[in-house]
Amino acid sequence: MYVLGLSCYYHDSCAVLLKDGVVVAAAQEERFNRDKYSPVFPIQAVNYCFQEAGITIYDVDEVAFYEKMFLKFERSMLSHILGYPFTLRNFIDTVPLWLKDRLAVPYYVEEELRFKKPLWFVKHHLSHASSSFFASPFPRAAFLTVDGVGEYACASWGVAEGSSITLRKELHYPHSLGLLYSIVTAYLGYRVFSGEGKVMALAELGEPTYLDQFRRIVDIRDDGSFSLNLDYFAFNRGDKMHNRRFEALFGPARQENAELDDRHRAIACSLQRITEEILLKMARHVHKQTGEEYLCLAGGVFLNVTANSRIRNETPFRDVFIQPSAGDAGAALGAAAYVSHTMLGVPRAAPLRSCALGGQYTTRQIEVVLRNKRTKYRTVDPAALVDEIADRLAAGKVVGWFQGRMEFGPRALGNRSILAHPGSPDVKERLNLVIKHREPYRPFAASVLREHVEDWFEGIGDSPFMLEVGRLRVDKQGRIPAVTHANQTSRIQTLTREENGIYYDLVAAFHARTGLPMVLNTSFNEDEPIVRTPAEALRCYEESGMDCLVMENLLIER
Amino acid sequence: MSLESTGGATISMTGSRICATCVLPEIRPHIVLDAQGVCNICQDYNKQERTPLLLESDFIRILDKHRGKQKYDCLVMCSGGKDSTAALYFMKTRYKMNPLAFTFDHGFEQSDAIDNVKRAVEKLDIDFMFFKTNFMKDMFKRLIRSKSKAVICHPCSIWYIKLAYEMAARVEAPMIIAGWTKGQSVKQEVMSACGCNVHQPEYKAMAAETQKFLDEQVGDMPQYKGFPRSMDELLKQVKRSGNKAMVLSPHWFLPYGPDEYVKMIQDNVDWRYPAESYPRKSTNCSLNFISVHNSMRDFGYTHYHVEMSKLVREGVMSRDEALKNLDMNFSDKLLDGILGELDLTQKDIR
Repeated sequence: MYVLGLSCYYHDSCAVLLKDGVVVAAAQEERFNRDKYSPVFPIQAVNYCFQEAGITIYDVDEVAFYEKMFLKFERSMLSHILGYPFTLRNFIDTVPLWLKDRLAVPYYVEEELRFKKPLWFVKHHLSHASSSFFASPFPRAAFLTVDGVGEYACASWGVAEGSSITLRKELHYPHSLGLLYSIVTAYLGYRVFSGEGKVMALAELGEPTYLDQFRRIVDIRDDGSFSLNLDYFAFNRGDKMHNRRFEALFGPARQENAELDDRHRAIACSLQRITEEILLKMARHVHKQTGEEYLCLAGGVFLNVTANSRIRNETPFRDVFIQPSAGDAGAALGAAAYVSHTMLGVPRAAPLRSCALGGQYTTRQIEVVLRNKRTKYRTVDPAALVDEIADRLAAGKVVGWFQGRMEFGPRALGNRSILAHPGSPDVKERLNLVIKHREPYRPFAASVLREHVEDWFEGIGDSPFMLEVGRLRVDKQGRIPAVTHANQTSRIQTLTREENGIYYDLVAAFHARTGLPMVLNTSFNEDEPIVRTPAEALRCYEESGMDCLVMENLLIER
Repeated sequence: MSLESTGGATISMTGSRICATCVLPEIRPHIVLDAQGVCNICQDYNKQERTPLLLESDFIRILDKHRGKQKYDCLVMCSGGKDSTAALYFMKTRYKMNPLAFTFDHGFEQSDAIDNVKRAVEKLDIDFMFFKTNFMKDMFKRLIRSKSKAVICHPCSIWYIKLAYEMAARVEAPMIIAGWTKGQSVKQEVMSACGCNVHQPEYKAMAAETQKFLDEQVGDMPQYKGFPRSMDELLKQVKRSGNKAMVLSPHWFLPYGPDEYVKMIQDNVDWRYPAESYPRKSTNCSLNFISVHNSMRDFGYTHYHVEMSKLVREGVMSRDEALKNLDMNFSDKLLDGILGELDLTQKDIR
C-alpha cells in the first residue's frame, strides 16, 4: 500500500512516500526549485518520490495532508476578527493566500496529481507526533510536540502505543514557544525560518541578563504551559509581531546586518534559557502524567539542539527520540504514517535509521555533467578513496562530499556535506567567511565515530541525526576549535559503520591519521538549499573556496 | 569516415571544427564557433531562461483528459527501436492506458525491429496495426537521383506523421504517442516546451532544402498530389481537418535515459538491439544510412548531430559518448544493399 504525505503553503513544503508503512522516498520542494523553505505545492518532490519508487499516481492508495486547513482558517479568521481594526491590513494580505492556495488543497491534489479519492487531513500536531513516534524504535512512548502554530495548537503531548496515538493536551495559539522564538529572531535582525539557528548560536556568546524581562512577557507554569502577555506582541498587525512596548522593555530592535552588541547576545541567551526552561518543564510534566519511559519529540522547536540535549539529560525519560526532520517537512511524513498505521492498520515498520531518502546519481550521470562542463576529474578506486580524502582532510583541505542519496530534513549527514579538519584553528573562519558566507560566530557540527563519542564529550550518546550537543571533556578542550562553541559544546552526529558506510570509513581513516575520531561537517550549500544534483554541487564548489570535490568516486581538484 | 580528436579541438570528417561543448560542426552561417570553440547554439542555450521543466505529472494530466473516452486511449507509433518500444511499454504498464500499437514499413524497416514490436505487443497484450507500403519509394529514388540536398528523413517524417494522424482519426484515438527523446521533436505546442523545432538555426538549411525539393521535384508525381511541403503545412492540414489528436512522447517527461529503460524492455518484452543501426544502438530504418551519408556530404552534419547535441546540453549523455555514437563507418556492402532496393548505386550518392 502506497501512502503519499504532503505539506505545503507555509514553509518547508515536502512530499513523502510510504510503501506498506516504510518510507521509500522523501524530499523538500526547496531542493528542486532552489527556493529556500519553499512553500509551494511540492510538485517536483512528488514526481521525484514516484520515480524513485517506480510508480505513478495510479499506484497510490491514499494521500495525507499535514494539517486540517479549515480549522486553521477558522483560527486565522477569528484572530483577525478579534484584532480588528488593527488586523485589517494583514487580513487583506492573507485572505487571497487562503482562497487561492491554502483552502484549495483538494483541488490542487486532483488537478496537479490526478488523485481522485478524498484526502486525509491529519491534525498538525498529530502529524508531528506521528512523525516521531512511528519513526522511533519504541513500542510505546509519550510524545511532546512544540512548534509555531498548527490549527490552534502550538504544543501538544500525549501517549502512543503500537499503531495508536492519543493526544492528551494542547496549548493553543497565540501562546506559542515557536512564535516567541521567531518574534525575537526577527527582533534581533534575522530572518524567520533561517535565523533561529543563528540566534541559538548567538545565545551561547551572551549572558542571560534579560530573564526578568522575558518573565514579564511569558508567564510560565510548573507544567510547562505558559501564556504570552499579549500587551507586548502585535500578532496579525503588520510585518513585525512585537510592538512598541516590547521595544520599551528590551530596547530598540536590531536592523538586519547591524553590528551585534552585548545586549543582543544577552537577549538571545535569555530567550534560549527561557525556551529550555519551558521545554524541560513540559517534558517533566509529560513524564509525570504518563509514566512512560520513552519520549518522542517533533515540531520545529526541536531543531534546538541545546534544548534537546537538556531534555535527554535532565528529565527522567530513559530514552528520547527526535524526528530528524522535526519541522513541517517531517509533518508530511507523520501524516502519511498516521494514515498508514493508525487509520489503515498497516503494521509498524522498522525504525527510521537513515535520512538518506532523496535522489541518488550514478557515477555515469555525474561523469556526463563533468565532461559536458569540461571539468577535469579523476576516477579513484573506491578502496583508495577514503585514504586519499582522509589525507587531504588531515592536511587541512576543505572537501565537498557528495555521496549516495540526498538527506531528508535540514541536516547534511554525510551525503551532501562540506568536510574539514575539526582541529584546524583557522578553518572555522575560512568556512564561515569564504565558503559559506555566514556569520563568523556560528559554530560547525562534528561527525564523530560512535564508539569514541564518550571519550570526547559528556552528556551525549547516540545522535545519528545531529540533533543534540555534547560538552567537550576538559582534557580535550582546545583540540577541536573548529567544532567547539564558546560554551565548550559541539553539535554532534554519531556515526556507525552499519548506518553510515563510506562516510564512517572516511572518518575512521581520518582518525587513524590525526587521532581525532571526527570531522567537521557542514551542509553542502552557500546561502541556498543544500545541493541536490551533481551540477549544483559542481557550481557550489566552483563558486566557493573548497579545495576539492568528491562525487561518488570521482575527484575534482583545483 | 570517423571524427577525430586533434589536441584540444575536435575536427569533423569534413574538416570543420566541432563545438567544444556539443557535437555540431561549424557550418556558416547557421552554426558559428566563437574564440573558445563554442557554437552559437550552445551560447544561446546557456543564455536562455530555462523553460519550465516538464514533469511526469504534467504528462499524466494530459493522459487523464483523454483516458477511457474512445476504444483506444492512444495510438503509439512503434518502430521497434528502444525509444518507441519503451514508450509503448510505459503507456501500457506505467500509465495503464489502452494503446493501439502502429508500425509502418516503407520497405526499409529492419526485420529484427519489426520482430521487437511483435514480441512487445504479444507480451503486453496490445492491439497492433501493421502497415507496409512502397508509397514513398519513388520519392526517395527521385530525391537521391536528383542529388537534392533534402534530407531523406524529412519528407519521410512528414509522411509518417500524416499517416499517424490519419490512423488516429480512423480509430478515433485522441493522442499519438511517439518514442521521441528529449533531443527530438516536431513542432506543436506541447512539443515546443522541449525547445526543439525545425526553425532552429541548426535545422534551417536542411528544412529549406527539403521544402525546395518538395516544391520543385514532386509536382510531376501524381501519387504525391497534396503531399504537404513542410511539417508546418501538414500541421495546418491536420488542424483544418478537425483532427485534434495530440502528439506526445513520455520520454520528454521522464528523468530516465536509455540506460534505464533499455534494461526494462529487455527484461519485460524481450527487446533486442537491431544488428545494424546509425547512430550506434539507435534507428532501425536502413534507408537512414543513406540519409545520414548524404547529410554529411551536403551539410557536414546530420539531424542526429542536432539531436545528440541537445541531449548533451540537457545532460542526458556526455559529449564523448555522443561523438562515439555518431561515428560513421558504413561498409560498401551495406550501402550497395540499401541502394539496390531503389535500383540505385553508390554513383548516385557521390
